[in-house]
Amino acid sequence: MNRVAMEGKVLNVNDRAAAELRADFARHGVFAVNLIGSPGSGKTALLERTLESYDPARRAAVLTGDIQTDADAARLARYGFPVRQITTAGACHLDARMVRRALEGWDLSTIDLLFIENVGNLVCPTSYDLGEAHKIVLLSVTEGEEKPLKYPGIFFKADLLAITKVDLLPYVPFQVHVAEANARRIHPDIDIVRVSSTSKTGLDRWLEWIARRAPAVPAL
Amino acid sequence: MHEVTVAAGILDAVRAEVAAQKPARAIKVGVRIGQMAGIDPESLAFCFEALVKGTDVEPLELEIERGSADELEFCYLELEPT
Repeated sequence: MNRVAMEGKVLNVNDRAAAELRADFARHGVFAVNLIGSPGSGKTALLERTLESYDPARRAAVLTGDIQTDADAARLARYGFPVRQITTAGACHLDARMVRRALEGWDLSTIDLLFIENVGNLVCPTSYDLGEAHKIVLLSVTEGEEKPLKYPGIFFKADLLAITKVDLLPYVPFQVHVAEANARRIHPDIDIVRVSSTSKTGLDRWLEWIARRAPAVPAL
Repeated sequence: MHEVTVAAGILDAVRAEVAAQKPARAIKVGVRIGQMAGIDPESLAFCFEALVKGTDVEPLELEIERGSADELEFCYLELEPT
């Protein structure tokens, strides 16, 4: 019997596809973010408020993933930006090859800012690099402040935590500072914004976080 | 839930390595998984066993070592000549 060293990542097929995507994004100047959160955490609603606030000249686009239906794409298409639905037909996460396929035929040089809305799930999407610049995790105040400790992977990998539905804080026992402290135990440097897509509280801080990283006007 | 995809990825890599080391068969593969990798080791072991069963690579053992942070990497492959 002999033992050989094996190196490399277990998900290297996905990682290779993600590296190609990242190179394509860099070549065409696309700033891509990967939004991850539980079903019902408010990913689509936050994107609706985001697109609604954008100047139509802004070159934003959305890929939205779900197991079934194109309901989210229909919701998001109302704002006049290019939107494509990825239906995974059972898969609990998006992978880089699905994103590649979904982008086929899109001229990336016409997009500056790409939102990728992952399948609602706090676990599986964590392991799949989609070539994004940042992972963003959403946690709604109806979910419980212990979620960062129960699902540490995504809080560890995300650069931004958006605590959503903060308009409901008076009605739920959720303690925002406890949730934030829990997230920082897992990831001390994580950025945090508190938002409500209903009352629009904190939306400016969310938009500012994106704007600081993505060009607001089309690149020449 | 996605452990089956991860298990399939491990098997693909094992098959490729065996093909490169021919004539040989794989006995055991070692992987390292960090606590932040979002992978449940027990679920991965279950999926791995299910995928190996009845195929060309059976019997094949999976050893899961605790890694750091979000590591999800291969460590080694044990082979025997055929």
